[in-house]
Amino acid sequence: MEVKKIFLPESELPRQWYNIAADMPTPLEPPLHPGTGQPVGPDDLAPIFPMPLIEQEVSQQQFIDIPEAVLEKYLIWRPTPMYRAFNLEKHLDTPARIYFKNEGVSPAGSHKPNTALAQAYYNKISGTKRITTETGAGQWGSALSMCCCLFGLECKVYMVKVSYQQKPYRRLMMETWGAKCTPSPSSETNAGRKILEKNPDSPGSLGIAISEAVEAAVMDEETKYSLGSVLNHVLLHQTVVGQEAQKQMAQFGDYPDVVIGCAGGGSNFAGMTFPFIRDKINGKQVEILAVEPASCPTMTRGPFAYDFGDTVQMTPLLPMHTLGHSFVPEPIHAGGLRYHGMAPLVSQLILDNLITPMAIPQLETFEAGITFARTEGFISAPETDHAVAALIREALKAKEEGKEKVLLLNWSGHGLVDMAAYEAYLSGKLKNYELPQEEIDRALSDIEPLPKPKQYRK
Amino acid sequence: MKHPVIPPDDRFKIRCRKLGHQVAFSYCRVENQGLPCAKTLDCWHIHFPVASHLKKELTPDQWHRAFVSPGRPKMMTLLDLIEQAKRAKEEGSK
Repeated sequence: MEVKKIFLPESELPRQWYNIAADMPTPLEPPLHPGTGQPVGPDDLAPIFPMPLIEQEVSQQQFIDIPEAVLEKYLIWRPTPMYRAFNLEKHLDTPARIYFKNEGVSPAGSHKPNTALAQAYYNKISGTKRITTETGAGQWGSALSMCCCLFGLECKVYMVKVSYQQKPYRRLMMETWGAKCTPSPSSETNAGRKILEKNPDSPGSLGIAISEAVEAAVMDEETKYSLGSVLNHVLLHQTVVGQEAQKQMAQFGDYPDVVIGCAGGGSNFAGMTFPFIRDKINGKQVEILAVEPASCPTMTRGPFAYDFGDTVQMTPLLPMHTLGHSFVPEPIHAGGLRYHGMAPLVSQLILDNLITPMAIPQLETFEAGITFARTEGFISAPETDHAVAALIREALKAKEEGKEKVLLLNWSGHGLVDMAAYEAYLSGKLKNYELPQEEIDRALSDIEPLPKPKQYRK
Repeated sequence: MKHPVIPPDDRFKIRCRKLGHQVAFSYCRVENQGLPCAKTLDCWHIHFPVASHLKKELTPDQWHRAFVSPGRPKMMTLLDLIEQAKRAKEEGSK
């Protein structure tokens, strides 16, 4: 019987986080303070973050030791198992060897506690009594609640009101771990009160919830704020995932040709891929795929043709499945919004061609999630389904090409608290409206004068 | 099949990539302090002619603020919020 999964012994838990900032081909420029125009310094961030995290945010040290107290608590769920997806391989009839790292085994059900735990620890040793944060559906809020609880810190979560009303189970998880969860906008902060004065029925937003959480931290010296994505120190803490994966792949006797992660704020993606990108910088052949949502069904409705990569027509003509560069309303791509929510480290690595971005439409992600659940058993978080969908595309591509590719997926979390999304899919409520042919024709007329690639097809 | 010219009602929901759960168009329409969420066009354009609909509803200035102004990096947003909160704290202590 072939080995299905590998559990590393606890002694193999990584002792250091990997800091890719030390190896970046194009170093990130320091952010400038919007008020002074000067590079952001520790004092600017000190009202909301403890100093050890600020130091990590700007660190150029390649490896940073993980404190013993964090290692001890990582052992609650780490090292996480890596699986060979035999059933999915068989179902897809692919020659690819598929592996996935299961980050859904943490108590909060995702990779998020990898940084929540570290942040709670550094706050604890810095004298913080209470941590504030914001959350939408509650994946981050629940992770931070659990980790604050493990280090004896109070946790205050401003949960977007529409999410608070729609996601009671995540809220109850937070409260079970002792956090105080408040629907945002609330009457507890100036930011919240201003919104409520204008609109007492405001459903809230992440922007409002962040304002409340930051304000609460600035107002009280014993309170700090915590963020679960985007920032450098958050991505740093996640690199335990990829370092464990490297050891597990070696035990399987394999090395990935393609590493895949979903990239929203970038943290699970970075956690898995940064150690492999280090290998790539040092000469290894490995493709890194960052998968994001797309709503435009270009692959199914558009021809394969040359098109501009953006609506301002600055990028070179690229052969692609397209509905024409003007199909997506101009501001979306012209404003650079596609990546604006992504971590700066990830964005820079895309620009340096070390990461390949990929967009997958919503329906395909749920189809992939169902396939994964019915073959490997695990029900993925909807975000994770994006990566699963990319994995399936790659596996089918390997089949078409007849190549025994090795594919590695970061299975970043389970979807057991997100079943409403699956219900919407299974009941057909997510079915897209059909695009009217006249709208497609109008968009395609824009690319009609452009040159056609050799393999042009309608 | 013809596209509907008005937004789907609140029974029709799509997944919000910011919040991580299903939301109706009525939420996206006001998410940004009464203005549409910056991702509204991207998320909804396959479901109905959202750009035409919002162009009728928004003034050019509102459209610009909602969709054309570039998004700010998270660090900049945090620094702005810290400054705002510090000012509020100082005013509160006077």
